[in-house]
Amino acid sequence: MLDRLSGQLERYMDLLSARQKLVASNIANVDTPGYRTQDIDFQAEFQNAMGPPRAIAVDGLPVKNDGNNVSLDRESRLLAENDLRFNVASNLMRQQIQAVRSAIKEGQGS
Amino acid sequence: MALPITPTTGAALPASIPPAGQSTGAGFQDVFSSAVEKVESLGQDASASVERFLSGEGEELHTTILATTRAELAFDLFLQTRNKVVSAYQEIMKMQL
Amino acid sequence: MSSLFSVLSIGASGMAAQRTRAELLVENLANAETTRTREGGPYRRKDAVFESSAVSSPFASVFDDAQAPSGVAVSEIVTDTSAPEKRYMPGHPDADQDGYVAFPRVNPAEDMVDLMDAARSYEANVAAIGAVKDMIQRSIDLLH
Repeated sequence: MLDRLSGQLERYMDLLSARQKLVASNIANVDTPGYRTQDIDFQAEFQNAMGPPRAIAVDGLPVKNDGNNVSLDRESRLLAENDLRFNVASNLMRQQIQAVRSAIKEGQGS
Repeated sequence: MALPITPTTGAALPASIPPAGQSTGAGFQDVFSSAVEKVESLGQDASASVERFLSGEGEELHTTILATTRAELAFDLFLQTRNKVVSAYQEIMKMQL
Repeated sequence: MSSLFSVLSIGASGMAAQRTRAELLVENLANAETTRTREGGPYRRKDAVFESSAVSSPFASVFDDAQAPSGVAVSEIVTDTSAPEKRYMPGHPDADQDGYVAFPRVNPAEDMVDLMDAARSYEANVAAIGAVKDMIQRSIDLLH
């Protein structure tokens, strides 16, 4: 009923949450000596659809003198993007739920 | 001139006709039981998810809400179906006078 | 893994750390020309050392593993121990026998830039908390 498409939406929301947690950690540690930016491989984890996602290192980020490679620009952008995508997914989910509720209500009358 | 009458072959009997009254009952019973099982299992999933969320084990809020919503919708649907079946049954019972 | 709720603690730890950093920078700037302190001698600059730390949250449990995302904390405040800057000012009340006055090793321009950086990082943590609060609210909205 709510199963297949909503299962995918739920997985999408799970991954966005996991990613946002790492973004928040990165932001908190923007000035921590030696700290390396963490992320998840979104596409791979979405295809995989199994279990909690794994945190990975991010390539290509310039390293500052103290060994820290967090880019506040990158993290701020991701922060906003994850939030928006989560917004979209939750709205789609809500539509699906409401559709099922309507169908049930409809059946009540006849 | 009359054409020869070819004997007709009798309509083939279906390989098996379950005895009247029994099959319908058994089939419906199965569907009903599996629906009840489904509703119960979704309900248990929801409870477990709520527990994990409250105990701080790291269950996401949206996961818990979706689990409880699925359980609620399954239950509502089941209830509606059951009510229809009951009223249909009552209709039939009224007829058998 | 800990849930989105723990991220509120992570953001809060970031805000606290940046705030400490900013306060020390303001103290350095205010004392850039202080030649005489209560302890004797010129002002010595202070800097915060940041370190990743696991955050404790009222919602967390003992099951949180090492993979849990981490916040940040000020592990120590380092006071500058290098030799102070000496300027030749014979008439100055704090001049020594040779006419030199010891001044703090504070570069105001540098610390101003650092202060703006701390403010920016602070705001980024505020934004992180805001985004997560939004996502949690969307989850709650699924119920209607």
